[in-house]
Amino acid sequence: MTIDYQLTLEYTLQSGWLEPFVRGLQQGIATARRCTSCEKTSYPPIRVCKCNHTGGEWVRLSGEAHIVHRCDGSEGSFALVQFIGADTRTVVRLENMPEPDAIGYLKSPLTKNANDKPVLVLTTDQQDKARR
Amino acid sequence: MAQSKVTVCGAAITAFNRRTDGSSFRDWALAAFEDALTLSSLERRDIDALIVASESDFFSLQLNPASVLATDLGLVGSSTMRVEGGGASGQLAVHTAARFIQSGAYKHVAVVGVDPSASQLSGPTIKSLYSFSFDAWTDGLSGVSATALYALSFQAFMQRIPVSQQHLGLVTQQNRANATFNPRAHLGKIHSQQEIDESTLLATPYRRLHCSPLSDGAASLILSASSHSPSSRKSAPTIAGLGAASDSVHLGARSDAGDFAAKRLAMQRACREADIQPTQINIAEVYDAYAGAQLQAIDALGLSDNIPNDLQSGRFDIHGQCPINLSGGLMGQGAPVGATGVAQTATCALLLEGLYEEKLQPQSLPQFALADTHGGVCTTAAVTLLAGAAA
Ligand SMILES: [Zn+2]
Repeated sequence: MTIDYQLTLEYTLQSGWLEPFVRGLQQGIATARRCTSCEKTSYPPIRVCKCNHTGGEWVRLSGEAHIVHRCDGSEGSFALVQFIGADTRTVVRLENMPEPDAIGYLKSPLTKNANDKPVLVLTTDQQDKARR
Repeated sequence: MAQSKVTVCGAAITAFNRRTDGSSFRDWALAAFEDALTLSSLERRDIDALIVASESDFFSLQLNPASVLATDLGLVGSSTMRVEGGGASGQLAVHTAARFIQSGAYKHVAVVGVDPSASQLSGPTIKSLYSFSFDAWTDGLSGVSATALYALSFQAFMQRIPVSQQHLGLVTQQNRANATFNPRAHLGKIHSQQEIDESTLLATPYRRLHCSPLSDGAASLILSASSHSPSSRKSAPTIAGLGAASDSVHLGARSDAGDFAAKRLAMQRACREADIQPTQINIAEVYDAYAGAQLQAIDALGLSDNIPNDLQSGRFDIHGQCPINLSGGLMGQGAPVGATGVAQTATCALLLEGLYEEKLQPQSLPQFALADTHGGVCTTAAVTLLAGAAA
């Protein structure tokens, strides 16, 4: 004997302090946070720097990143990448980046398909490169 | 202030599998609790508090599950709460219970870990829920899966420690083989290396057989202030040390994405509290959500100076110097998330007392046991060290 439920949940996540980062993704721009004390730059942004300083400013990265580790398989292709200008690394989905491609560009939402939520995708598409 | 010593008066684990018998998580929780209570020689009225570990309301479709379980378990009137910390929920519940007793607030605390991770929702739904284990505003926006994040972390680990596919295979074979002697296990199997190598590639280097399954099940402990433990339980195992720590939720923000630094810190804290060294551990239940995570755990817990050598020489085998995951671990025994950490600690307690499965029980009673659990890609770590009467 079972009791069946079906839930459909629609969330609206506010971007909060991450607003510049999320807005950047929506525009295909990698917006990172630079500590105003030690100048270490984090992407995704970290609110309190490892140096314990809380002050930060938003900086625009070029959007170019190189792959540090990548994994492929039935779950898709993902990578830990280093964006130029960032001191931390970033987890991204890879699109149109067959091995041995090692350098890609943050994908612009303008070149995306139906899904319009900001996504962290790295691609070698020339359109995205041309936008830099 | 002198802390109260904590005795594990009761410990029990239900079968971990995919239930098809019409039972619900409320039945499994009751079964585990009643078995633990029986071993403890205590009565329901002795229990001051019930601490429930369950990872997600999405799995159980029950907010405030502790209130429902307190009623089902006949513990109305006791203090109740749920503890949650991702995959570490169960072990954090053990810590919470032990800390309550150490503080002198309570004499007897029941811990119940439970999750219906297999039968209430489809695999893809659970998988998509798990993807919210990571920062939903940042890493989560990539759509990354748990398997892919673990794979990236393990790749970083492989740059520091010379382990390979072969070692992933050894861990997989060992855990699933141990599980064949555990009648409660979900996946007791004898795998050939070829079978492992030919299973579906999910995220390099992880293949289907390198992963733990989604399981239903429950586990329970009755922890007591040693000064108030029943006379029949005076020689039951005690909590020797607890340690917990956290790491950056972003894999990319860690100085070494392959190092389980939170686990390392948690272990150091637990060892300091227990006043023992990792080399004194005789048996360990280690968090093996993936085969490589077990290797990363062995490294962070300080259980080996040379992991490839120790794997090859059988140090961690069923008859080795420090058997790891005699239960089969998450990979072999199964993984109902909230129950996992509680079951690991229960397994350690039963092994220390000589009450575990006959074919898995070491020849002589171990002195010290380690239960290691984490959430995220070792973002939340919790380690419990237990001492047997032989210690
Ligand atoms: Zn700084």
